[in-house]
Amino acid sequence: MSNRNPLDYSINKPLVTSFNPFSYLFKDITLVSALIAVLVFGLAMLYSSSGQSFSMVMRQSIYVFVGLIMMIFISHLKPDSYKNILMHSYWMGLLLLIYVLFNPAEGYTTSRWIDIGFFQFQPSEIIRLILPLSIVAYLHRKESKIRLEDWLYTTLAALICSYLVFEQPDLGTSIIVFTSGIIPIYLAGLPYRVIAAYLGMLAIVSPFIWSSLLDYQKQRVLTYFDSNVDPLGDGWNIAQSQTAIGSGGFFGKGYLQGTQSQLNFIPESHSDFIFSVIGEEFGLLGISCLFIVYGIIIWRIFKIGLSAQSPFERLACCSLGFIFLLFILINVSMVIGIIPVVGVPLPLISQGGTSIVVHLLAFGVILSAKRPQL
Amino acid sequence: MRTIQDLRRDEKDTQSLRSRSGVIFFFLLILIISGVFKILQLTVLDRVNYEAESDKNRIINIPIYPARGLITLEDGTLIAENIVTKDLYIKTKLYEASIDQVEHLHDKVLDENRKLDQLQVPIQDEGKIWLARNLSEQELAKYEVQKNSMPNIQLEAKLRRYLPHKNLFSHVIGHLGLINMDERLSLSRAEYPDDSFIGKVGLEKSYEKKLRGKTGISLMEVDVYGNKIREINRVSPDKPFNLTLTLDLRLQKIAQEELANRRGAVVALDPKTGFIKALVSSPDYNPNILNGSESGYPVSESSMEDSPFFNRAISGLYPPASTIKPFIGLLGLEEELITESTIVEDKGFFQLREEGRKYRGWKEDGHGRVDLKKAIVESSDVYFYELASKLTIDRISSFLLRFGFGEISGIDLINESKSILPTRNWKLGNIGEAWFVGDTINIGIGQGYISSTPLQLAVSLSAIANKGKIFQPKLIKNNQLDDYEPDLLMEVQIENPRHGNIIEKSMISVINSWNGTAHNLYEEGGITIAGKTGTAQIKSLTDQDLTVREEYEGVRKDINNRDHALFASYGPVPDPNLVVVVIVENGESGSAVAAPIAKRLIEEYQININES
Repeated sequence: MSNRNPLDYSINKPLVTSFNPFSYLFKDITLVSALIAVLVFGLAMLYSSSGQSFSMVMRQSIYVFVGLIMMIFISHLKPDSYKNILMHSYWMGLLLLIYVLFNPAEGYTTSRWIDIGFFQFQPSEIIRLILPLSIVAYLHRKESKIRLEDWLYTTLAALICSYLVFEQPDLGTSIIVFTSGIIPIYLAGLPYRVIAAYLGMLAIVSPFIWSSLLDYQKQRVLTYFDSNVDPLGDGWNIAQSQTAIGSGGFFGKGYLQGTQSQLNFIPESHSDFIFSVIGEEFGLLGISCLFIVYGIIIWRIFKIGLSAQSPFERLACCSLGFIFLLFILINVSMVIGIIPVVGVPLPLISQGGTSIVVHLLAFGVILSAKRPQL
Repeated sequence: MRTIQDLRRDEKDTQSLRSRSGVIFFFLLILIISGVFKILQLTVLDRVNYEAESDKNRIINIPIYPARGLITLEDGTLIAENIVTKDLYIKTKLYEASIDQVEHLHDKVLDENRKLDQLQVPIQDEGKIWLARNLSEQELAKYEVQKNSMPNIQLEAKLRRYLPHKNLFSHVIGHLGLINMDERLSLSRAEYPDDSFIGKVGLEKSYEKKLRGKTGISLMEVDVYGNKIREINRVSPDKPFNLTLTLDLRLQKIAQEELANRRGAVVALDPKTGFIKALVSSPDYNPNILNGSESGYPVSESSMEDSPFFNRAISGLYPPASTIKPFIGLLGLEEELITESTIVEDKGFFQLREEGRKYRGWKEDGHGRVDLKKAIVESSDVYFYELASKLTIDRISSFLLRFGFGEISGIDLINESKSILPTRNWKLGNIGEAWFVGDTINIGIGQGYISSTPLQLAVSLSAIANKGKIFQPKLIKNNQLDDYEPDLLMEVQIENPRHGNIIEKSMISVINSWNGTAHNLYEEGGITIAGKTGTAQIKSLTDQDLTVREEYEGVRKDINNRDHALFASYGPVPDPNLVVVVIVENGESGSAVAAPIAKRLIEEYQININES
């Protein structure tokens, strides 16, 4: 036919029979529908678990709405245009983590919250997603191959954030922050010899770190893993949430009918423990449906990620996909009592504006990796 | 424009991404699998347990206690009721921190006499310290004004047992008290929680189950803070029984008044039914204090030493003394050892053999020639010494047993003592000695090993009053209970009815004859009463050189060694409707101290009967 390069875009362009404004606006209808489904379900569960507080649902709806707008906005940007901002947002996150140690919100025993008048947020909620994104942006800031020192810098960046969270003190979250930093580094192709060197160093250094820890820091680590010590009454909380899920059985007790949650036996039922309310009111059936929708979201993330065209986009999507999956797993495992209690909300469902907005921003990044089908 | 190189690099990059994703996914898979198993375990395998656990969380059983059954007289007069008392308490854990509030309470609210309460060890139950029980109207008003400055002190209204007649029925009704360790072991916490009051003595104890009724249950849904949300189900409590007493308020009052806090007891019963008409033990106590419905002390200071909680009417063991003589005389007639006209020469003492021990009568010079009637009327000891020695202990004890001596009457009260009717075996077992004739001689005048309770003596005497029939003594006459009908306990077969009449006539003469020991009761045209005085010796008088009177003068210097005054009687003859036994400890004279009480009771009872 012709001597034109077969890779020429204009030839391989698929036939477009009609213009669909929805698929243009949302880019990936499946992913966005699944997201909206989870968000709406989350609002309904929030209503049930907050003691049927309409104002709390309204507040959360505003965050959901703002988050969705920002997500769609970001999804239409070219990754190159915000890559630099993402990279430098690390410094903002770092600043917040330092700030919270010196200026924590009053009324808490730990320094986890920042109070900015009309609302409070935890910087660790933000850093959990900012850290991996900035690491991805840093590693792929240039077209060239990743240098050895880049691995070291990024690992160090993750360690610093993790240490600052540990000082809040919040050992559980500090581990999660470090994990969410190390996932993109590993996925980007952290050479196995570097990993070996890290492990070697860890083996040598860890006794020194341990002995250099102050007594209260050691105590903090020990109590976290010692199930006999129960300073926060976590054992009771877990027993109550297990009772809620177990008594929900297969079909659940029905919406707004969960006695454990409606009579306040579940602690933090509207935030970290909202999963037990879902289990109690909708049973195994409801849990399974939720997992299926979560599964669809993760499948779409990897689908978009693996077919994206730039290494930055691929890495960003896959990293975020794993981190999203990890947060779900950690929250659920904690609620059903197979891991210790950590402050991780159930993504897109638990009450908390920061968490919702930051997650939706991350989905904006994921969606921007998908080329518009024109 | 993308090149082949770009594509190759992308290909390689994606390949690495895929394989490394696989590694991460493998680690996450561990969490996924264990999570799935755990969720299945919770919702499928252990579902039933968790459902139960969830219900246990939210549903609590609140017991509903019916108000305790009322106790009334036949005419409806309330003897034991329930009143709402308002009590102040503070949670034990708040006590230390709120001392100033407690002081404020004592300064501004409570009456002066409550200062005493402060000295008492606070009763702790359910983590509460009771600061003041049963507030008066005035205290309540003051509390309402002051309560905002004492936020930790709280008011609780509780139903408590109240006896409007206070002390009068204390030994019949008894009192309640906090459940103790022994009772705890045999009663469930659902029926009796740790702060519950339970009958301790008297009818409150013996009819505890019936008076309390059956506890109901309310199933309540609660939230995590214990706030009640709604009632899920309710099992109503069974209505408790109300008891109707056989007692007569006037007789009870007279008996209490006449005993006047002296140590003693009065038992009056209707021989034709066994219904108890008066049962008083003195001194008594105020059950309301122990029931928590009044504050103060349950016993008066003067009676503190005299065992006011001891029910002398059913638990006190006394020698029946001369009141036994009619029974011994009846046995002599029945056994044909004597007749009405058998004469004994009473020289003031009795000897089994010449030169043997002298058993002295109470009258130094003796009563002269004595027949049975005179022996009872003047209470000749010598006559009965001789008769008893001929009767032998075997015949005496088997005969007295038929009248209920040595038995408990089975009245519906706890702590009834079994009276002692000695036999040869009894002495061998309890004293460790063989029976001597001397023992039998002492029994003949109701001294020695024999002892009776006032109640038992009344029951035994009712056989003589009732021509042999003995009815089960009862305090409750209640058509809610199945045993309210008079119950024939036993019937003493008297072979010759004339023998009974002889005894009865003799007993009437105790009062009506000029020489009767209780002739002081005689009134021209008054009610005919049959009675027998008794003077129970506490110390045996054995000094052979002194006369009885001389020896007793020495003994009576110690009040507690003085003789007990007894009077056993019934009336009006020929159709007796009341048997009365009166005992006044250390009262010395049966005729002067005990007998007038009995007479007054019998007379008052006739007035009552005529009125109704």
